[in-house]
Amino acid sequence: MNEPCLKLTTYFGERQRVVTDHARRPGFLADAMLDLFDTREVATSVMLRGIASFGLRHVLRTDESLSLSEDPPVTIAAVDVESKISDLVDEVVAMTSHGLVTLERARLVRSDDMLDVGINDAVKLTVYVGRQERIGGLPAYRAVCDLLYRHGFSGGSVFLGVDGTAHGERYRARFFSRNVNVPLMIISIGTPAQVLAAVTELTAAAPKPLLTVERVRLCKRSGQLFARPHRLPDTDDRQRPLWQKLMVHTSEATSHGGLPVHRALVHRLLDSGMARGATVLRSIWGFNGDHKPHGDKLFQLTRRVPVVTIIIDTPEWIARTFEIVHELTAEHGVVTSEMVPAVMSIAGPDHVGDTRLARHDY
Amino acid sequence: MLLWVGVLIAGGFGAVLRFLVDGAVARRAARSFPFGTLAVNISGAALLGLLGGLALNRHAALLADTAFVGSYTTFSTWMLETQRLSEERQLRSAVANLVASIVLGIAAALLGQWIAGQL
Repeated sequence: MNEPCLKLTTYFGERQRVVTDHARRPGFLADAMLDLFDTREVATSVMLRGIASFGLRHVLRTDESLSLSEDPPVTIAAVDVESKISDLVDEVVAMTSHGLVTLERARLVRSDDMLDVGINDAVKLTVYVGRQERIGGLPAYRAVCDLLYRHGFSGGSVFLGVDGTAHGERYRARFFSRNVNVPLMIISIGTPAQVLAAVTELTAAAPKPLLTVERVRLCKRSGQLFARPHRLPDTDDRQRPLWQKLMVHTSEATSHGGLPVHRALVHRLLDSGMARGATVLRSIWGFNGDHKPHGDKLFQLTRRVPVVTIIIDTPEWIARTFEIVHELTAEHGVVTSEMVPAVMSIAGPDHVGDTRLARHDY
Repeated sequence: MLLWVGVLIAGGFGAVLRFLVDGAVARRAARSFPFGTLAVNISGAALLGLLGGLALNRHAALLADTAFVGSYTTFSTWMLETQRLSEERQLRSAVANLVASIVLGIAAALLGQWIAGQL
Protein backbone atom coordinates (compact mmCIF):
# COMPACT_ATOMS: atom_id res chain seq x y z
CA MET A 1 0.00 0.00 0.00
CA ASN A 2 1.15 3.45 -0.83
CA GLU A 3 -1.92 5.54 -0.26
CA PRO A 4 -2.58 9.24 -0.31
CA CYS A 5 -2.89 10.27 3.30
CA LEU A 6 -3.31 13.34 5.39
CA LYS A 7 -1.16 14.49 8.27
CA LEU A 8 -3.05 16.43 10.92
CA THR A 9 -0.75 18.44 13.18
CA THR A 10 -1.77 20.54 16.16
CA TYR A 11 0.39 22.98 18.10
CA PHE A 12 -0.68 24.25 21.56
CA GLY A 13 0.32 24.66 25.22
CA GLU A 14 0.48 21.46 27.26
CA ARG A 15 -1.62 22.74 30.17
CA GLN A 16 -4.51 23.65 27.93
CA ARG A 17 -7.79 21.89 28.73
CA VAL A 18 -10.47 20.62 26.41
CA VAL A 19 -13.30 22.90 25.34
CA THR A 20 -16.53 21.28 26.56
CA ASP A 21 -19.82 22.49 27.93
CA HIS A 22 -20.58 19.63 30.31
CA ALA A 23 -17.60 18.35 32.33
CA ARG A 24 -17.01 20.30 35.54
CA ARG A 25 -13.26 19.97 35.25
CA PRO A 26 -12.36 19.19 31.65
CA GLY A 27 -9.33 17.00 30.97
CA PHE A 28 -6.13 18.05 29.24
CA LEU A 29 -6.45 18.72 25.51
CA ALA A 30 -3.48 16.53 24.58
CA ASP A 31 -5.04 13.60 26.44
CA ALA A 32 -8.45 14.07 24.86
CA MET A 33 -6.94 14.33 21.40
CA LEU A 34 -4.99 11.09 21.82
CA ASP A 35 -8.13 9.43 23.22
CA LEU A 36 -9.90 10.44 20.04
CA PHE A 37 -7.08 9.08 17.86
CA ASP A 38 -7.18 5.87 19.91
CA THR A 39 -10.92 5.29 19.47
CA ARG A 40 -10.68 6.02 15.75
CA GLU A 41 -7.63 3.74 15.50
CA VAL A 42 -5.46 6.29 13.73
CA ALA A 43 -2.57 4.52 11.98
CA THR A 44 0.08 6.65 13.60
CA SER A 45 0.10 9.64 15.91
CA VAL A 46 2.74 11.01 18.21
CA MET A 47 2.81 13.74 20.82
CA LEU A 48 6.07 15.68 21.14
CA ARG A 49 7.01 18.20 23.82
CA GLY A 50 8.81 21.30 22.52
CA ILE A 51 11.53 23.35 24.20
CA ALA A 52 10.46 26.80 22.98
CA SER A 53 7.64 28.39 21.05
CA PHE A 54 5.46 31.39 20.54
CA GLY A 55 2.16 31.78 18.73
CA LEU A 56 -0.28 34.42 17.58
CA ARG A 57 -0.43 36.01 21.04
CA HIS A 58 3.38 36.33 20.99
CA VAL A 59 3.74 34.73 24.41
CA LEU A 60 7.11 33.02 24.69
CA ARG A 61 7.33 29.54 26.16
CA THR A 62 10.85 28.31 26.79
CA ASP A 63 12.64 25.74 28.90
CA GLU A 64 15.44 28.24 29.58
CA SER A 65 13.47 29.65 32.50
CA LEU A 66 11.71 27.53 35.09
CA SER A 67 8.59 29.71 35.23
CA LEU A 68 8.20 29.92 31.45
CA SER A 69 8.61 26.16 31.05
CA GLU A 70 5.69 25.31 33.30
CA ASP A 71 3.37 25.22 30.26
CA PRO A 72 5.58 23.80 27.48
CA PRO A 73 4.57 23.73 23.82
CA VAL A 74 3.36 20.42 22.45
CA THR A 75 2.75 19.25 18.95
CA ILE A 76 0.71 16.23 18.00
CA ALA A 77 0.98 14.76 14.52
CA ALA A 78 -1.46 12.13 13.25
CA VAL A 79 -1.28 10.37 9.89
CA ASP A 80 -3.89 8.17 8.26
CA VAL A 81 -5.89 7.83 5.05
CA GLU A 82 -7.69 10.95 3.86
CA SER A 83 -11.21 9.87 4.80
CA LYS A 84 -10.28 9.03 8.39
CA ILE A 85 -8.38 12.26 9.05
CA SER A 86 -11.06 14.40 7.36
CA ASP A 87 -13.63 12.95 9.75
CA LEU A 88 -11.47 13.91 12.74
CA VAL A 89 -10.60 17.48 11.87
CA ASP A 90 -13.79 19.18 13.00
CA GLU A 91 -13.69 17.40 16.35
CA VAL A 92 -10.05 18.37 16.90
CA VAL A 93 -10.79 22.01 16.06
CA ALA A 94 -13.85 21.98 18.34
CA MET A 95 -11.91 20.73 21.37
CA THR A 96 -9.09 23.31 21.00
CA SER A 97 -9.38 26.77 22.51
CA HIS A 98 -5.98 28.16 21.48
CA GLY A 99 -3.58 26.71 18.96
CA LEU A 100 -2.78 25.93 15.38
CA VAL A 101 -4.20 23.03 13.35
CA THR A 102 -2.62 22.13 10.03
CA LEU A 103 -3.35 19.55 7.34
CA GLU A 104 -0.70 18.32 4.93
CA ARG A 105 -0.64 15.71 2.21
CA ALA A 106 1.63 12.75 2.84
CA ARG A 107 2.00 9.19 1.65
CA LEU A 108 1.90 6.35 4.13
CA VAL A 109 4.15 3.49 3.08
CA ARG A 110 3.20 0.21 4.68
CA SER A 111 5.10 -2.33 2.60
CA ASP A 112 7.77 -2.34 -0.07
CA ASP A 113 5.31 -1.84 -2.91
CA MET A 114 6.43 0.51 -5.62
CA LEU A 115 6.93 3.87 -4.04
CA ASP A 116 6.34 6.87 -6.21
CA VAL A 117 8.31 9.72 -4.73
CA GLY A 118 8.16 11.76 -7.91
CA ILE A 119 10.89 13.88 -9.39
CA ASN A 120 10.97 16.51 -6.66
CA ASP A 121 14.20 18.03 -5.51
CA ALA A 122 13.89 16.54 -2.02
CA VAL A 123 11.72 14.22 0.01
CA LYS A 124 11.02 14.20 3.72
CA LEU A 125 10.93 10.65 5.04
CA THR A 126 9.39 10.18 8.48
CA VAL A 127 9.80 6.86 10.28
CA TYR A 128 7.88 5.91 13.42
CA VAL A 129 9.36 3.25 15.72
CA GLY A 130 8.77 2.18 19.32
CA ARG A 131 11.14 3.50 22.01
CA GLN A 132 12.60 0.11 22.87
CA GLU A 133 12.09 -1.56 19.52
CA ARG A 134 15.26 -3.16 18.15
CA ILE A 135 16.52 -3.78 14.63
CA GLY A 136 19.51 -6.07 14.16
CA GLY A 137 20.56 -5.87 17.84
CA LEU A 138 20.56 -2.07 17.92
CA PRO A 139 17.86 0.23 19.26
CA ALA A 140 15.63 0.79 16.22
CA TYR A 141 16.09 4.57 16.15
CA ARG A 142 19.86 4.20 16.04
CA ALA A 143 19.67 1.53 13.36
CA VAL A 144 17.40 3.77 11.28
CA CYS A 145 19.72 6.77 11.70
CA ASP A 146 22.75 4.71 10.72
CA LEU A 147 20.92 3.53 7.64
CA LEU A 148 19.88 7.07 6.66
CA TYR A 149 23.40 8.33 7.25
CA ARG A 150 24.81 5.51 5.13
CA HIS A 151 22.49 6.44 2.28
CA GLY A 152 23.79 10.02 2.40
CA PHE A 153 20.70 11.80 3.72
CA SER A 154 21.12 15.52 4.44
CA GLY A 155 19.92 15.03 8.00
CA GLY A 156 17.92 12.85 10.33
CA SER A 157 16.66 13.51 13.87
CA VAL A 158 14.88 11.33 16.40
CA PHE A 159 12.12 12.96 18.47
CA LEU A 160 10.89 11.37 21.67
CA GLY A 161 7.14 10.86 21.73
CA VAL A 162 5.41 10.97 25.12
CA ASP A 163 2.12 9.58 23.88
CA GLY A 164 0.72 8.28 20.63
CA THR A 165 -0.82 5.53 18.56
CA ALA A 166 0.85 2.97 16.31
CA HIS A 167 -1.18 0.77 13.95
CA GLY A 168 -4.30 2.09 15.73
CA GLU A 169 -3.17 1.12 19.27
CA ARG A 170 -2.56 3.68 22.00
CA TYR A 171 0.87 3.73 23.65
CA ARG A 172 1.40 6.25 26.39
CA ALA A 173 4.66 6.86 28.25
CA ARG A 174 4.55 6.21 32.02
CA PHE A 175 7.15 6.92 34.66
CA PHE A 176 7.35 3.34 35.96
CA SER A 177 7.37 1.49 32.68
CA ARG A 178 9.79 0.42 29.98
CA ASN A 179 7.59 2.25 27.46
CA VAL A 180 8.52 -0.28 24.80
CA ASN A 181 6.05 0.79 22.13
CA VAL A 182 5.70 4.51 22.86
CA PRO A 183 6.39 6.00 19.44
CA LEU A 184 9.50 7.90 18.39
CA MET A 185 9.43 10.04 15.28
CA ILE A 186 12.45 10.13 12.98
CA ILE A 187 12.40 13.01 10.49
CA SER A 188 14.90 12.90 7.63
CA ILE A 189 15.61 14.73 4.39
CA GLY A 190 16.98 13.01 1.31
CA THR A 191 16.85 12.93 -2.47
CA PRO A 192 14.11 10.80 -4.11
CA ALA A 193 16.71 8.13 -4.97
CA GLN A 194 18.09 8.02 -1.41
CA VAL A 195 14.59 7.79 0.04
CA LEU A 196 13.65 4.99 -2.36
CA ALA A 197 16.73 2.98 -1.39
CA ALA A 198 16.25 3.64 2.33
CA VAL A 199 12.57 2.65 2.23
CA THR A 200 13.37 -0.62 0.46
CA GLU A 201 15.99 -1.47 3.07
CA LEU A 202 13.82 -0.35 6.01
CA THR A 203 10.79 -2.35 4.97
CA ALA A 204 13.00 -5.42 4.67
CA ALA A 205 14.66 -4.90 8.08
CA ALA A 206 11.67 -3.92 10.23
CA PRO A 207 8.66 -6.19 10.60
CA LYS A 208 5.91 -3.56 10.59
CA PRO A 209 7.41 -0.22 9.63
CA LEU A 210 5.41 2.99 9.69
CA LEU A 211 6.78 5.39 7.12
CA THR A 212 5.51 8.52 5.48
CA VAL A 213 6.98 10.48 2.59
CA GLU A 214 6.28 14.12 1.81
CA ARG A 215 7.48 16.45 -0.88
CA VAL A 216 9.75 19.27 0.30
CA ARG A 217 12.22 21.72 -1.18
CA LEU A 218 15.77 21.63 0.15
CA CYS A 219 16.59 25.33 0.56
CA LYS A 220 19.91 25.22 2.40
CA ARG A 221 22.48 22.77 3.66
CA SER A 222 25.60 23.60 5.67
CA GLY A 223 25.42 27.25 4.71
CA GLN A 224 24.97 26.59 1.00
CA LEU A 225 21.83 28.09 -0.55
CA PHE A 226 20.19 25.80 -3.10
CA ALA A 227 16.86 27.54 -3.59
CA ARG A 228 14.60 29.96 -1.78
CA PRO A 229 11.18 28.64 -0.76
CA HIS A 230 8.67 28.55 -3.64
CA ARG A 231 6.95 31.89 -3.98
CA LEU A 232 3.37 30.66 -3.78
CA PRO A 233 0.28 32.81 -4.40
CA ASP A 234 -1.80 33.74 -1.35
CA THR A 235 -4.73 31.57 -2.45
CA ASP A 236 -5.41 28.75 -4.88
CA ASP A 237 -7.84 28.85 -7.84
CA ARG A 238 -10.81 28.44 -5.51
CA GLN A 239 -9.69 31.24 -3.20
CA ARG A 240 -8.59 28.85 -0.45
CA PRO A 241 -5.58 30.28 1.38
CA LEU A 242 -2.19 28.66 0.89
CA TRP A 243 0.36 28.39 3.67
CA GLN A 244 3.98 27.38 3.86
CA LYS A 245 6.19 25.69 6.41
CA LEU A 246 9.90 26.12 7.01
CA MET A 247 11.79 23.51 8.98
CA VAL A 248 15.19 24.63 10.21
CA HIS A 249 17.32 21.69 11.33
CA THR A 250 20.27 22.89 13.40
CA SER A 251 22.43 21.54 16.19
CA GLU A 252 22.52 22.62 19.83
CA ALA A 253 26.27 22.93 19.25
CA THR A 254 26.09 25.64 16.57
CA SER A 255 25.57 29.23 17.59
CA HIS A 256 24.85 32.63 16.15
CA GLY A 257 25.92 35.68 18.14
CA GLY A 258 26.61 33.63 21.27
CA LEU A 259 23.21 31.94 21.27
CA PRO A 260 22.33 28.52 19.87
CA VAL A 261 20.86 29.13 16.39
CA HIS A 262 17.37 27.96 17.38
CA ARG A 263 17.27 30.34 20.39
CA ALA A 264 18.49 33.26 18.27
CA LEU A 265 15.93 32.40 15.61
CA VAL A 266 12.99 32.38 18.04
CA HIS A 267 14.09 35.74 19.50
CA ARG A 268 14.52 37.29 16.07
CA LEU A 269 11.12 36.06 14.89
CA LEU A 270 9.45 37.23 18.08
CA ASP A 271 11.12 40.64 17.72
CA SER A 272 10.01 40.88 14.08
CA GLY A 273 6.52 41.31 15.52
CA MET A 274 4.68 39.87 12.55
CA ALA A 275 5.68 36.20 12.45
CA ARG A 276 2.68 34.04 13.33
CA GLY A 277 4.66 31.62 15.44
CA ALA A 278 7.42 29.06 15.75
CA THR A 279 7.98 25.85 17.67
CA VAL A 280 11.33 24.28 18.55
CA LEU A 281 11.68 20.55 19.13
CA ARG A 282 14.85 19.00 20.55
CA SER A 283 15.78 15.56 19.33
CA ILE A 284 17.46 12.80 21.34
CA TRP A 285 19.64 11.42 18.55
CA GLY A 286 20.50 12.28 14.98
CA PHE A 287 22.82 13.87 12.47
CA ASN A 288 23.06 17.01 10.44
CA GLY A 289 25.33 17.27 7.41
CA ASP A 290 28.51 15.24 7.72
CA HIS A 291 28.51 14.47 11.44
CA LYS A 292 27.89 10.87 12.39
CA PRO A 293 24.62 10.20 14.22
CA HIS A 294 25.01 11.07 17.90
CA GLY A 295 23.06 11.92 21.04
CA ASP A 296 23.70 13.57 24.37
CA LYS A 297 25.53 11.77 27.15
CA LEU A 298 24.49 11.58 30.77
CA PHE A 299 27.65 13.32 31.92
CA GLN A 300 28.51 16.20 29.65
CA LEU A 301 28.81 19.92 29.98
CA THR A 302 27.18 21.00 26.74
CA ARG A 303 24.42 19.69 24.50
CA ARG A 304 25.03 18.72 20.89
CA VAL A 305 21.83 17.02 19.70
CA PRO A 306 19.94 18.23 16.60
CA VAL A 307 16.96 20.53 17.04
CA VAL A 308 14.31 21.60 14.56
CA THR A 309 12.51 24.93 14.42
CA ILE A 310 9.12 24.78 12.69
CA ILE A 311 7.72 27.99 11.23
CA ILE A 312 4.28 28.13 9.60
CA ASP A 313 3.06 31.31 7.94
CA THR A 314 1.48 32.85 4.85
CA PRO A 315 3.56 32.76 1.63
CA GLU A 316 4.34 36.46 1.96
CA TRP A 317 5.69 36.10 5.48
CA ILE A 318 7.57 32.91 4.74
CA ALA A 319 9.50 34.85 2.09
CA ARG A 320 10.41 37.48 4.71
CA THR A 321 11.09 34.94 7.44
CA PHE A 322 13.41 33.01 5.14
CA GLU A 323 15.74 36.02 5.00
CA ILE A 324 16.11 35.85 8.80
CA VAL A 325 16.62 32.08 8.64
CA HIS A 326 19.14 32.54 5.81
CA GLU A 327 21.17 34.98 7.87
CA LEU A 328 21.22 32.77 10.98
CA THR A 329 22.12 29.57 9.11
CA ALA A 330 25.16 31.12 7.41
CA GLU A 331 27.37 28.11 8.12
CA HIS A 332 25.30 25.27 9.53
CA GLY A 333 21.93 23.67 9.29
CA VAL A 334 19.46 22.18 6.85
CA VAL A 335 16.48 24.30 5.80
CA THR A 336 13.46 22.90 3.95
CA SER A 337 10.22 24.46 2.78
CA GLU A 338 6.91 22.88 1.88
CA MET A 339 3.37 23.88 1.09
CA VAL A 340 0.71 23.53 3.79
CA PRO A 341 -2.69 23.26 2.10
CA ALA A 342 -4.84 23.94 5.17
CA VAL A 343 -4.23 25.88 8.38
CA MET A 344 -6.69 26.90 11.07
CA SER A 345 -5.46 29.16 13.84
CA ILE A 346 -7.68 29.19 16.88
CA ALA A 347 -7.74 31.92 19.51
CA GLY A 348 -10.83 31.44 21.67
CA PRO A 349 -13.92 32.19 19.56
CA ASP A 350 -11.79 33.50 16.69
CA HIS A 351 -11.11 30.87 14.05
CA VAL A 352 -8.92 32.11 11.24
CA GLY A 353 -8.28 29.89 8.24
CA ASP A 354 -9.90 26.93 6.62
CA THR A 355 -9.64 23.19 7.18
CA ARG A 356 -10.65 22.48 3.57
CA LEU A 357 -7.52 21.68 1.63
CA ALA A 358 -6.24 24.07 -0.98
CA ARG A 359 -4.90 22.61 -4.21
CA HIS A 360 -1.98 24.15 -6.02
CA ASP A 361 0.63 22.68 -8.34
CA TYR A 362 4.07 24.15 -8.08
CA MET B 1 0.40 25.08 66.05
CA LEU B 2 -1.08 28.35 64.82
CA LEU B 3 2.43 29.56 64.07
CA TRP B 4 3.08 26.60 61.78
CA VAL B 5 -0.15 27.22 59.93
CA GLY B 6 1.10 30.77 59.50
CA VAL B 7 4.42 29.48 58.10
CA LEU B 8 2.46 27.32 55.69
CA ILE B 9 0.36 30.24 54.47
CA ALA B 10 3.19 32.81 54.32
CA GLY B 11 5.37 30.28 52.48
CA GLY B 12 2.57 29.59 50.03
CA PHE B 13 2.12 33.30 49.30
CA GLY B 14 5.87 33.68 48.79
CA ALA B 15 5.94 30.86 46.27
CA VAL B 16 2.95 32.18 44.31
CA LEU B 17 4.39 35.70 44.29
CA ARG B 18 7.68 34.38 42.94
CA PHE B 19 5.90 32.52 40.18
CA LEU B 20 4.01 35.68 39.16
CA VAL B 21 6.99 38.06 39.35
CA ASP B 22 9.40 35.65 37.65
CA GLY B 23 6.92 34.90 34.86
CA ALA B 24 6.03 38.56 34.28
CA VAL B 25 9.66 39.74 34.15
CA ALA B 26 10.89 36.81 32.03
CA ARG B 27 8.02 37.16 29.57
CA ARG B 28 8.62 40.88 29.18
CA ALA B 29 12.36 40.45 28.74
CA ALA B 30 11.95 37.43 26.39
CA ARG B 31 15.71 36.86 26.47
CA SER B 32 17.86 33.84 27.19
CA PHE B 33 19.28 35.48 30.31
CA PRO B 34 17.12 34.56 33.34
CA PHE B 35 16.06 38.08 34.30
CA GLY B 36 12.97 36.77 36.11
CA THR B 37 14.91 34.76 38.68
CA LEU B 38 17.44 37.58 39.06
CA ALA B 39 14.63 40.08 39.78
CA VAL B 40 13.10 37.73 42.34
CA ASN B 41 16.38 37.06 44.14
CA ILE B 42 17.51 40.68 44.22
CA SER B 43 14.15 41.99 45.45
CA GLY B 44 14.06 39.15 47.99
CA ALA B 45 17.54 40.04 49.27
CA ALA B 46 16.55 43.69 49.66
CA LEU B 47 13.37 42.70 51.50
CA LEU B 48 15.24 40.33 53.78
CA GLY B 49 17.83 43.02 54.52
CA LEU B 50 15.03 45.41 55.40
CA LEU B 51 13.20 42.89 57.62
CA GLY B 52 16.45 41.87 59.31
CA GLY B 53 17.22 45.52 60.05
CA LEU B 54 13.80 46.01 61.61
CA ALA B 55 14.62 43.53 64.41
CA LEU B 56 11.17 41.90 64.48
CA ASN B 57 10.17 39.55 67.28
CA ARG B 58 10.91 35.83 67.02
CA HIS B 59 7.55 34.72 65.58
CA ALA B 60 7.16 37.61 63.17
CA ALA B 61 10.71 37.01 61.91
CA LEU B 62 9.95 33.33 61.34
CA LEU B 63 6.86 34.18 59.31
CA ALA B 64 8.28 37.09 57.33
CA ASP B 65 11.90 36.03 56.84
CA THR B 66 12.04 32.28 56.80
CA ALA B 67 8.58 31.48 55.48
CA PHE B 68 7.70 34.34 53.15
CA VAL B 69 11.03 35.58 51.77
CA GLY B 70 12.51 32.07 52.05
CA SER B 71 9.97 30.66 49.62
CA TYR B 72 9.92 33.81 47.48
CA THR B 73 13.61 33.69 46.61
CA THR B 74 15.15 30.64 44.99
CA PHE B 75 18.65 29.28 45.05
CA SER B 76 17.78 26.10 43.18
CA THR B 77 16.30 27.90 40.15
CA TRP B 78 19.33 30.18 40.02
CA MET B 79 21.59 27.12 39.86
CA LEU B 80 19.40 25.22 37.38
CA GLU B 81 19.14 28.15 34.98
CA THR B 82 22.88 28.77 35.16
CA GLN B 83 23.47 25.12 34.31
CA ARG B 84 21.00 25.36 31.39
CA LEU B 85 22.87 28.37 30.03
CA SER B 86 26.18 26.55 30.20
CA GLU B 87 24.88 23.39 28.53
CA GLU B 88 23.82 25.58 25.60
CA ARG B 89 27.34 27.04 25.46
CA GLN B 90 26.27 30.49 26.68
CA LEU B 91 29.19 30.61 29.11
CA ARG B 92 29.31 34.40 29.28
CA SER B 93 25.66 34.57 30.29
CA ALA B 94 26.16 31.75 32.79
CA VAL B 95 29.08 33.51 34.49
CA ALA B 96 27.26 36.87 34.32
CA ASN B 97 24.27 35.25 36.01
CA LEU B 98 26.45 34.04 38.89
CA VAL B 99 28.40 37.27 39.31
CA ALA B 100 25.45 39.64 38.87
CA SER B 101 23.32 37.71 41.34
CA ILE B 102 26.03 37.79 44.00
CA VAL B 103 27.09 41.43 43.55
CA LEU B 104 23.59 42.84 43.15
CA GLY B 105 22.24 40.53 45.85
CA ILE B 106 24.70 41.71 48.49
CA ALA B 107 24.17 45.32 47.46
CA ALA B 108 20.39 44.86 47.69
CA ALA B 109 20.65 43.29 51.16
CA LEU B 110 22.84 46.20 52.33
CA LEU B 111 20.42 48.70 50.84
CA GLY B 112 17.52 47.01 52.64
CA GLN B 113 19.40 47.15 55.91
CA TRP B 114 20.29 50.79 55.38
CA ILE B 115 16.65 51.68 54.67
CA ALA B 116 15.60 49.86 57.85
CA GLY B 117 18.18 51.89 59.79
CA GLN B 118 16.71 55.12 58.46
CA LEU B 119 13.17 54.23 59.57
